[in-house]
Amino acid sequence: MANVNTGELLNFQDYSPEHNGRSARIDVEAVHTNQYNNVMTNSNYTYEEPKTVVEEQEAVPQTNHNFWTIEYYQKYFDVQTSEVLERIVSSVLPQKVSRNYFDERIKGKPDLYGPIWISVTLIFTIAVSGNIANYLQNANKEVHWRYNYHLVSYAATAIFCYVWLVPLALWAALKWSVVPDGQDEIETQASASPTMISLFCLYGYSLSIYIPVAILWTIQVSWLQWLFVLMAALVSGAVLIFWLLPALKKSKYSLILIGSILGFHFLLASGFMLYFFHVPNTVDPTTVVTNTTVKV
Amino acid sequence: MFPAGDVGVVEGEMNIPSHGGQTGDSMEFNTLDEPIKETFLRDLRAVGNKFYHVLIPREKTSLLKEWDLWGPLLLCTFMATILQGSTEIADNSNDGGPEFAEVFVLVWIGAAVVTLNSKLLGGNISFFQSVCVLGYCLCPIAISLVVCRIILFTTQNSFLFFLRLVISMIGFAWATFAATKFLGDSQPEGKKGLAVFPICLFYFILSWLVVSHNNV
Repeated sequence: MANVNTGELLNFQDYSPEHNGRSARIDVEAVHTNQYNNVMTNSNYTYEEPKTVVEEQEAVPQTNHNFWTIEYYQKYFDVQTSEVLERIVSSVLPQKVSRNYFDERIKGKPDLYGPIWISVTLIFTIAVSGNIANYLQNANKEVHWRYNYHLVSYAATAIFCYVWLVPLALWAALKWSVVPDGQDEIETQASASPTMISLFCLYGYSLSIYIPVAILWTIQVSWLQWLFVLMAALVSGAVLIFWLLPALKKSKYSLILIGSILGFHFLLASGFMLYFFHVPNTVDPTTVVTNTTVKV
Repeated sequence: MFPAGDVGVVEGEMNIPSHGGQTGDSMEFNTLDEPIKETFLRDLRAVGNKFYHVLIPREKTSLLKEWDLWGPLLLCTFMATILQGSTEIADNSNDGGPEFAEVFVLVWIGAAVVTLNSKLLGGNISFFQSVCVLGYCLCPIAISLVVCRIILFTTQNSFLFFLRLVISMIGFAWATFAATKFLGDSQPEGKKGLAVFPICLFYFILSWLVVSHNNV
């Protein structure tokens, strides 16, 4: 802290004698901000000065912001469009990126943009295509069919639980089941077990394959739907394990963990498919829904 | 007040009143003793002017500089009133459509989340400016809702459903285009796509509500 302070102090003293006019100008602007307060805030948009301020803030990433400010969370959203696309690709086709992509990039700079917006997109994709599937199921009947809006809330509950609770459990499991090997224990832990945020990030991106699959699930062919479930769960589960393998190897229950990661992934996929898209061959879907609601 | 030698300072100062020059006009005359009708009409005209700028998105200063939330409130209430379902037609297979409050909250929370996203990405735009733009850009979707509602008065067949789909997709594209035009420049170059995607998603969901609305 003391270092930074002196640095700033030196900088300022260096700066003001050279650009005397500029520092005075800042004063003028301060005066004007007070006088024309609403004009200034509204013209922020076209104005040059605030931009440079933002850039200066970004140049110093080490600043500690308060937990309750937007700036605190901005470090989790500091990604470029190309980076997000690359991470989505890495969650489906890991051979397209370098082998230690997770260790180098995602662990070093986990983002929450991808997980949050992929989850939200998946929720609404499932709700919309679930309705389309329902429409296709009822297309031949005489039933006056209507949309079911509240699929959104079921999908949201399921996905947000999955994205937050499973990584949390995995993080805890990794943290407490690490086997100390020959080296220094603390050092191994620090280098091996990924942080909670990077696990959230990894899990969020691993859901991205379900978005196209959710659209494909509208095709009402039973074996094709199951094929998609298997394919999606296997691909994204395998990629998850591929990235986490170095950390999982350290754990003494690594096989159980790998099994449960794959199991939960498969459970999620088949749960989606059965609840939102699938119709049993013999039973009328409306009676099934009524039965379950009556039981509840 | 200022150092006498600094000519540059004076120039800087002269710049700023010219920024507020357009608004200065309306501030000058006294609004205390004017008829209520005039006050009301002036505000209404300002709102109407903004709708016009959303429909023909050429210049972006009017929406960004003098934001208000009247237009979004009007549009949101209007859409929620038309889109709301009724429990009378709900049966076992469906829930009869969204409630008024659900649409209303969806619009406001959605706009707030999209704005929060652009703030988190580091966009230099104030919160209410962005909410204002997102709200006003609902206008094309509201228009498509009106057209769809008129179509719904006739007997339905698959061609008319297709027509409603096309109309609401036009509304969606128009709204996204306008909002991107107004808000796109506030983001740094590499993050524009990340800021535009949630806007697309937001308008897509609302357009989906418009297409799926079929309570006759």
